[in-house]
Amino acid sequence: MRASLCKNVMISFVCALLISCDQRQPEIPQLNFEEEIQQSLIQAQPGDIIEIPVGTHNFTRSLSLNVPGVTIKGAGIDSSILSFKNQKQGAEGLLVSASDFTIQDLAIEDTIGDALKINDSNNVVIKNVRTEWTNGPETTNGAYGIYPVQSQNILIDGAVAIGASDAGIYVGQSSQIIVRNSHAEHNVAGIEIENSTFADVYNNVATNNTGGILVFDLPNLPVQGGRNTRVYDNEIITNNTINFAPAGNIVGTVPSGTGLMILANDNIEVFGNTFSDNNSANVLLVSYYITERPFDDPDYDPFPEYIYIHDNEFNGGGGSPDSEPLNALRSATGQSIPNVVWDGTIKQGQKPNEILCMRNNSNFTFVNLDATNGFSAPTFNAAIHDCDLPNLSEISLSFETK
Amino acid sequence: MKLSQHIFSSLLCSVILYSCSEPSPSFYSSENPARLSEWNLFKLTPATLEPRSETLVFKPNNTLFSDYAHKLRTMWIPNGETAHVENNEIVYPAGTVLSKTFYYPIDSDGIFLRENDKNLSSLNLTKNRLIETRLLVKRDEGWQAFPYVWNVDQTEAFLRVAGTSRNIQLSEEGQQTQFTYFVPNENQCSACHVTEHPYGEMHPLGAIANQLTAKVGDTNQSQQIEKLISRNWLEVMPSTKPSHSWADRTASLEQRAASYLNMHCGHCHNKDGAADTSALLLDGSHDLAINMGVCKTPVAAGGGAGDKRYSIVPGSPEESILIYRMLSDQPDEMMPELGRSLVHDEGIELIHSWIEQMQGSCPNIQ
Repeated sequence: MRASLCKNVMISFVCALLISCDQRQPEIPQLNFEEEIQQSLIQAQPGDIIEIPVGTHNFTRSLSLNVPGVTIKGAGIDSSILSFKNQKQGAEGLLVSASDFTIQDLAIEDTIGDALKINDSNNVVIKNVRTEWTNGPETTNGAYGIYPVQSQNILIDGAVAIGASDAGIYVGQSSQIIVRNSHAEHNVAGIEIENSTFADVYNNVATNNTGGILVFDLPNLPVQGGRNTRVYDNEIITNNTINFAPAGNIVGTVPSGTGLMILANDNIEVFGNTFSDNNSANVLLVSYYITERPFDDPDYDPFPEYIYIHDNEFNGGGGSPDSEPLNALRSATGQSIPNVVWDGTIKQGQKPNEILCMRNNSNFTFVNLDATNGFSAPTFNAAIHDCDLPNLSEISLSFETK
Repeated sequence: MKLSQHIFSSLLCSVILYSCSEPSPSFYSSENPARLSEWNLFKLTPATLEPRSETLVFKPNNTLFSDYAHKLRTMWIPNGETAHVENNEIVYPAGTVLSKTFYYPIDSDGIFLRENDKNLSSLNLTKNRLIETRLLVKRDEGWQAFPYVWNVDQTEAFLRVAGTSRNIQLSEEGQQTQFTYFVPNENQCSACHVTEHPYGEMHPLGAIANQLTAKVGDTNQSQQIEKLISRNWLEVMPSTKPSHSWADRTASLEQRAASYLNMHCGHCHNKDGAADTSALLLDGSHDLAINMGVCKTPVAAGGGAGDKRYSIVPGSPEESILIYRMLSDQPDEMMPELGRSLVHDEGIELIHSWIEQMQGSCPNIQ
């Protein structure tokens, strides 16, 4: 009996071997670091923290995350580096479509397209993240560094964005936004808030970009009516890098030497900022018509309205403008371009003080370019704009502990 | 050892052996097998890959360009399960397994060949090289995608959640093209198969009513639906209007172009899609011509704009960003973003001719 049991076991064993149909099982392939990281992003569970170790990690393909509630955490803005120098696939470095997302303490370098794109996500924290093209400002660099779009409740804190051929930090078609304590340098646009509502942009440094900070509203987009943005306590300094955006893009129309540019956006409060040596103009306020681009959108309002610029400090700037009408003005007056430039376009029936109010700015000068009449009669008197507008409220994000 | 024991053991052995040589396709309701063979969809020998008779080989009317890879598609629905029709669309039961195997024909030296897909229903492995098999599996919680990658020996394909890549040299009339073929990761699967971004459900793009019902040229594809019904896999015939195939030269240029753009772009460029941020709608749902690209300026295209001002300039394909991005093979510029490394010559030819014959113009082209 014992022997036969043994025999039976033997036969079963042989049978088990035969299950594999007389073939050796091919071996499961090993994953490399890149595949392991992507696999962990796919298999993550809400609440997971995915750690990026110290070092430079090379990727050939975009990474992506679709699982909500995940944190990606490195060991520091200069020590955990995701390098996409050898990227062969994907239009982004990291693409996120996941709410309750945090990314912190790491860098994303040299992506072929956008560095960090976050699409359709709510409650997003981007903290101490650097996006950089390490070869410096070049047209072939990716368009956006940090790029949340169609998202809600966004905190960008302590970010560093360098070398984007469009915008270093770009928030588009979104709402409830804070961009603070960040540094944007050598981008075409340093920080851009576009077709978005309710944003606070403060304590940032925007320097050596083509334009320091842009607040735009564009037509023919699913989310528009950009309004309610506060730009305050920023240093907006020497944004004189030549415009290296690929032609055809809206940001390609920004003159080199622009400090702050507001295009067609409403209810903007600009205060407590230091503007220095932006060679076209420290502040540029224009309607969409200035772009000379066609639009077919009955719902779109191309005019900026209710812009309140107060308590800012202006130093220098406007000395060598990169714009035809501004150059003509400089030649005609023999003076630097004034600190605040308004194109002077206005919706029929509206008063100039409904468009623009300015108070308590130090070293303040102003020009209305009279763009409506082909820039024929610019005026410099700001008396009609000596008014105030209600202060906008602070943005508070529910997930932030004060 | 008693005779009865012998018989029992032998019986057990042959049962196992039998199930080994002729197993049926299997459905896994939660586990994700590491090996494609565990699904038992194919009979694999060193010489052939043959879908098991329980599966149905099918072909959608309108196909997607995938770097000139050929495709073998199968469908399997477990015994006793039936798909029903809801809003003229096929709703598959849990347990349904769709497969799509990507392969290239090879010559006697093993060189990959660029040829037209002959829609083979089983593959001679001395003449074809397997790259990957993607599964779409309908579970209780919805469709899920699994990319399996074939090994060099062509003896097994392994689940690669994070995808992978392979260098391929493709030969056409002696001319060689070198490129990297990318197997998508699971997120990239949903980039196309989830058309309502990001909270929509994953769904098939080929095994759907208007893709299966159409007549293409002289082949009557509606037989596919009839086959589904005769297998008791489908209750009734859906009454959808078949879509035109972009490759169907009996259709108008307009219809073919619309079909091509919908197939290759519409899964992102629709009103709920991931690319709605651009307001460029290529699934046919646009109300204004500008939202289909006519005289539409780019929003966040970066280098993808190719120094051009508009997506489509009627009459001027060379000035149209759409053509520029289709012609590009740079990851940050090219469209579609996923699914190809090579330029699709036949697609370019079609969209080029379509834009060329469009009437009108745009302001300030330069």
